[in-house]
Amino acid sequence: MTRESILEAGYLFIMDKKTLIIGLGNPILTDDGVGVKVARELEEQINLEAHPELSITEASAGGLRLMEALLGYERVILIDAFYLDPESTTPGKIHHLSLDDLRSISPTQHSTSAHDTSLVTALDTAEKLGYQIPGEFYIYAVEVENILEFSETPTPAVSKSIPIVVSQILKKFSFTTH
Amino acid sequence: MERITIDPITRLEGHGKIEIFLNEEGNVKNAYLQIPELRGFEQFSIGRPAEEMPRITNRICGVCPEAHHMAATKALDALFDIDPAPVVKKLRELFYSSFYVTDHTVHFYALGGPDFVLGPDSDPAERNILGVIHKVGVDIGIQVIECRKRNHDVIKMLGGRGVHPVAGLPGGWSKSMTKEEREIILDYSQKNIEFALFSLKIFDDIVLANQAYVDLIVSDAFTHNTYYMGTVDDKNLVNFYDGLIRVTGPEGKELVKYPSKDYAQHIAERVEPWSYLKFPYLKDVGWNGFTDGVDSGVYCATPLSRLNAADGMATPKAQEHFERFYETLGSKKVDGRYTPVHHRLATHWARLVELLYAAERMQELANDPEILDPNVRPIVTNTPTEGVGSVEAPRGTLTHHYKTDENGILTDVNLIVGTTNNNAPIAMSIKKAAEGLIKGGVVNEGLLNTIEMAFRNYDPCMSCATHSLPGQMPLEVEIKDSEGNLIDTHRQYID
Repeated sequence: MTRESILEAGYLFIMDKKTLIIGLGNPILTDDGVGVKVARELEEQINLEAHPELSITEASAGGLRLMEALLGYERVILIDAFYLDPESTTPGKIHHLSLDDLRSISPTQHSTSAHDTSLVTALDTAEKLGYQIPGEFYIYAVEVENILEFSETPTPAVSKSIPIVVSQILKKFSFTTH
Repeated sequence: MERITIDPITRLEGHGKIEIFLNEEGNVKNAYLQIPELRGFEQFSIGRPAEEMPRITNRICGVCPEAHHMAATKALDALFDIDPAPVVKKLRELFYSSFYVTDHTVHFYALGGPDFVLGPDSDPAERNILGVIHKVGVDIGIQVIECRKRNHDVIKMLGGRGVHPVAGLPGGWSKSMTKEEREIILDYSQKNIEFALFSLKIFDDIVLANQAYVDLIVSDAFTHNTYYMGTVDDKNLVNFYDGLIRVTGPEGKELVKYPSKDYAQHIAERVEPWSYLKFPYLKDVGWNGFTDGVDSGVYCATPLSRLNAADGMATPKAQEHFERFYETLGSKKVDGRYTPVHHRLATHWARLVELLYAAERMQELANDPEILDPNVRPIVTNTPTEGVGSVEAPRGTLTHHYKTDENGILTDVNLIVGTTNNNAPIAMSIKKAAEGLIKGGVVNEGLLNTIEMAFRNYDPCMSCATHSLPGQMPLEVEIKDSEGNLIDTHRQYID
């Protein structure tokens, strides 16, 4: 076996997991859509033909709708805005969270609403019902400044974080680019 | 109505904040629910082509993008002065009915339902969708998810994309239905009907068969005799997609019925010094404070309102359940229509009747001989000026109002969302809930619980965790004395 084919075999093994990259947020609410913008950038850069196991999507939704979009994938890479108390926030700061981290964070920082459940509850519900929820969760959460005003342009610090998150994801998962 | 209040989307951080103002005796004087306000939508929209609005406004709310998409599309019909062809109206209504099935299902099983299925005094840790599944069985839970899945498929099939539909056009719809799609939709709508009937049976077996719950539903604490608003068809039957807006009174008499474009003639806004919220009320009655009764212009817009404002349901099984609803809750027929049900907790039951109607309507429309007509994209020729479009969003009448220049570029935008209609009744319901539990400045146990129940009825458009594990709804209640000084804060699940 040549070195190339051994590497190729290993490459295929790593990349075999059915993977979803999902950018969350509202792209017309200033910083809120940072996740969507990262996902769109990844879609431009990643060579999807080299990654048949990969899907990239975006959603301005949470709770049950979001959970339903994740079913059937083994690995989920989720990018979202992370709104903290304005006094303690560092806009543009990138956090790497697991699903367990989400569980321990207070509900006000979840993707939640009065008509829905939090993502964690939605996933637990799916699991209790016997659905297969993804085994691996990688959450990229970007601290944001402005999520109450309408605009398609994020604030400067948050805008700067977009290419950084993109390159972190490309590197960590060794996605092939064009 | 000048100010724009938009549905906050689900991604917003924000806990529910309620302010309660006490009088000198330490009893409740006023209460209101504060909603995080989104700013700058008008500025954002002005200068854009109006035709983009169905795809812009479907981003406003991650929970009912379909409702905004539909209201925006109808506003475009009016703007370009096109009356859509029958097939277009039917496709849109079918799409919209499917959305209603998913939305009302989730509300009953995951949100409002748990209050009943488990009981308001149950452990908050159990009072959520997982508790419901625990009590009624895993099989039910699967049916809920399956119901959502199949209807999301329909929405994607007909709307062109999942979650944020794109098919709305002025006077048209961007894709027609194929024969294969029709077969699928017929199958799904039958499953929807069965599921709706099954849900009504659960309500029967678990809620109506339990005297304590029935007492709770009819209790005075959750009863308000106000006016009711809903959209009705030409027979005065409930319609979610189109019709005239009808308002009926506390005694059941029709007050007014108008096309959505005349909304500003019938609705005015009240400003109160203690709240930034504006409180819509009926111009034809006038403002008489946050009170019930025929002389108070306060009205509400919810599933209960829609049933109260109509003379019946347009599909047979839903009509049977409509009659049962009114008969069971003690309503009488006066001048040929049932007197209204004023018990706000009955909204959860009304929602299930609507669920059944939406399911039957889907089947009806899918069976319609015209539904496969491929001519769904008209050519627009009129010069646009101004247009209003409204639909019934699950949480109330939703209105989009656009003004453009002669090129169709937006110059003015006003959106009135479902919950805005309910600002006053929500304040009243919270106040009533609080009154029972705050006396002489002393706050009783269960305040937060009862307040939650009171306003969850209205399914308000706000960002707030609810029924999440383990039953955490971040809520902050601030109690102020007669001089406006903060004297007490009750919080749950906020850091």
